[in-house]
Amino acid sequence: MLPIVFHAPGAELTRPTVAPEVREPVVIARDLVLAYGERVALTASDFDIPAGGLTALIGPNGSGKSTILNAIAGLLEPNSGRLAVLAGPRRLAAIAYVLQSTAVNEAMPVTVREVVGMGRYGSLGPFRRFTAQDRALCAVAMERLAITELASRHLDELSGGQRQRVFVAQGLAQAADLLLLDEPITGLDLPSTERIRSAIQAERRRGVTVVLTTHELADAAAADWVLLLAGRVVAAGPPDEVLVPGRLSEAYGVTFLAHGGRLMIDDPAHRSGGGLAIETRHRADPDLEGWQA
Amino acid sequence: MIEWVTDPFSVHFMQQALLGGLLAAVTTSLIGTWVVIRGMAFMGDALAHGVLPGIAMAFVLGFDLTLGAIAGALVMVAGIAFVHRKGGLREDTGIGLLFVGMLALGVIIVSRLPSFTTSLTTFLFGDILGVRSSDLLVQATAAAIALAGVALLYRPFLVLSFNEAKAQVLCLHPRLAHLAMLTLLTLAIVTSFRAVGTLLVFGLLIAPPATASLLARSVPTMMLTGAALGSAAVVVGLLLSWHLGTAAGATVAAVAVAAFFAVLFGRDVADRVSRSRRGTDETDGGA
Repeated sequence: MLPIVFHAPGAELTRPTVAPEVREPVVIARDLVLAYGERVALTASDFDIPAGGLTALIGPNGSGKSTILNAIAGLLEPNSGRLAVLAGPRRLAAIAYVLQSTAVNEAMPVTVREVVGMGRYGSLGPFRRFTAQDRALCAVAMERLAITELASRHLDELSGGQRQRVFVAQGLAQAADLLLLDEPITGLDLPSTERIRSAIQAERRRGVTVVLTTHELADAAAADWVLLLAGRVVAAGPPDEVLVPGRLSEAYGVTFLAHGGRLMIDDPAHRSGGGLAIETRHRADPDLEGWQA
Repeated sequence: MIEWVTDPFSVHFMQQALLGGLLAAVTTSLIGTWVVIRGMAFMGDALAHGVLPGIAMAFVLGFDLTLGAIAGALVMVAGIAFVHRKGGLREDTGIGLLFVGMLALGVIIVSRLPSFTTSLTTFLFGDILGVRSSDLLVQATAAAIALAGVALLYRPFLVLSFNEAKAQVLCLHPRLAHLAMLTLLTLAIVTSFRAVGTLLVFGLLIAPPATASLLARSVPTMMLTGAALGSAAVVVGLLLSWHLGTAAGATVAAVAVAAFFAVLFGRDVADRVSRSRRGTDETDGGA
């Protein structure tokens, strides 16, 4: 099942002129309950994830963001309910999953080149040799994340931001239909953040369905589709409909206020100072150019 | 001087010991590399000791000792998995429990034997000078299987060590790969214990790959370096034990561990020298 790619003039420059809801979803969840043993991480929820766009999962810590990614990746079986991912015949390793970098064994004697190459193992299996095409996919992925010069380095010789770029490149090298990223830009330096954002945008423009988790309202606002989570799906839809004060207050348990195009937390302790501004901007905001690049 | 090296190895049992030791060093380094990379040292240690009651039982009942060792290893692995899954405890707690339990059981069984001390010493420390040709054949087969295993399963092992979830997403069957790794680990232990004993086989399993990890920049070179270091430890250890009259297996293990600290220390000194030299260069450049 290939996502529809629109070639409208100027579509590359502005947001895709596609209403995601008219597309066939790549993920359909009905009455989905997710749990780790006894501990329920997501109570019965319905949601879709549209094909070919960027979907952001946002919510407080422990709201079920990573859990949903794990379930989509096939690492966690639904406790009950239904979860359909990439319905129809699916090719091998059609889902790429960029894990949180803390989950990775960094002390291994492997080079950046080899780590990125692991992305190809999914379709090559244990034995098949790398073809010119496999090598080209790795080279392009490394180029996109600006890690080509680091190819011979080891993971423990890199900064946190460089390492995360390597893990994203590994995901891109897989050339999957569905790209999942668990907090790809949390706590990174600015150049790495911008590189990863633009690589994600490039994938989205190529028609890959991208699903990421984030703590940044700005990143969620720049997505095509947002799932707002709090142990359940509080709201799902385009960012303008989901990232509104009422819904956010419901998910985070604090009062959000809209003020001059910005969302603020209504913090009584800081009320004299006009509340604490949360980093969020609307799409027309020039600050978001990094995202669109 | 040359006689210092050649004389001991002109004796038949020393030649057998050398071959047995070298085969053990190769097999254990190939598997030990993954044990070191994945941080499974405690598991490897427990397996190496957990085989003791199996060996003791086989000895009492007159079975082949290797078969007894395999049975012991299977009980060990199954027990660890059981405690981990049912008890909800961390895996290392299960390993620790099984480790002590199996070791105690082994000693209890051996203590009923008339030749208590001799048997226990042989099981724990091996009898590298008593390696027979039939043992060598078993060891050579094990080395071949280990080599084939790590070559064929390189990608599943590599991604499993990187991250288990990643291996799952890439369809590299991490659970099967883990099982295969445990099987190869068991193979390395049960075919090498006769030469170096259950206590010291762990030394060959961990020390040469750990030393190699300080030097090598890829997994295959770590395996090669480990095998070379392990082999060197066998040669040097046997020579030292011959000339100093010390226990052969223990001397081999001690040399392997000493090599690790020598390399660690040497690397530290080299780092300091290069850093201070760079520091001097910078000062010169500034002047």
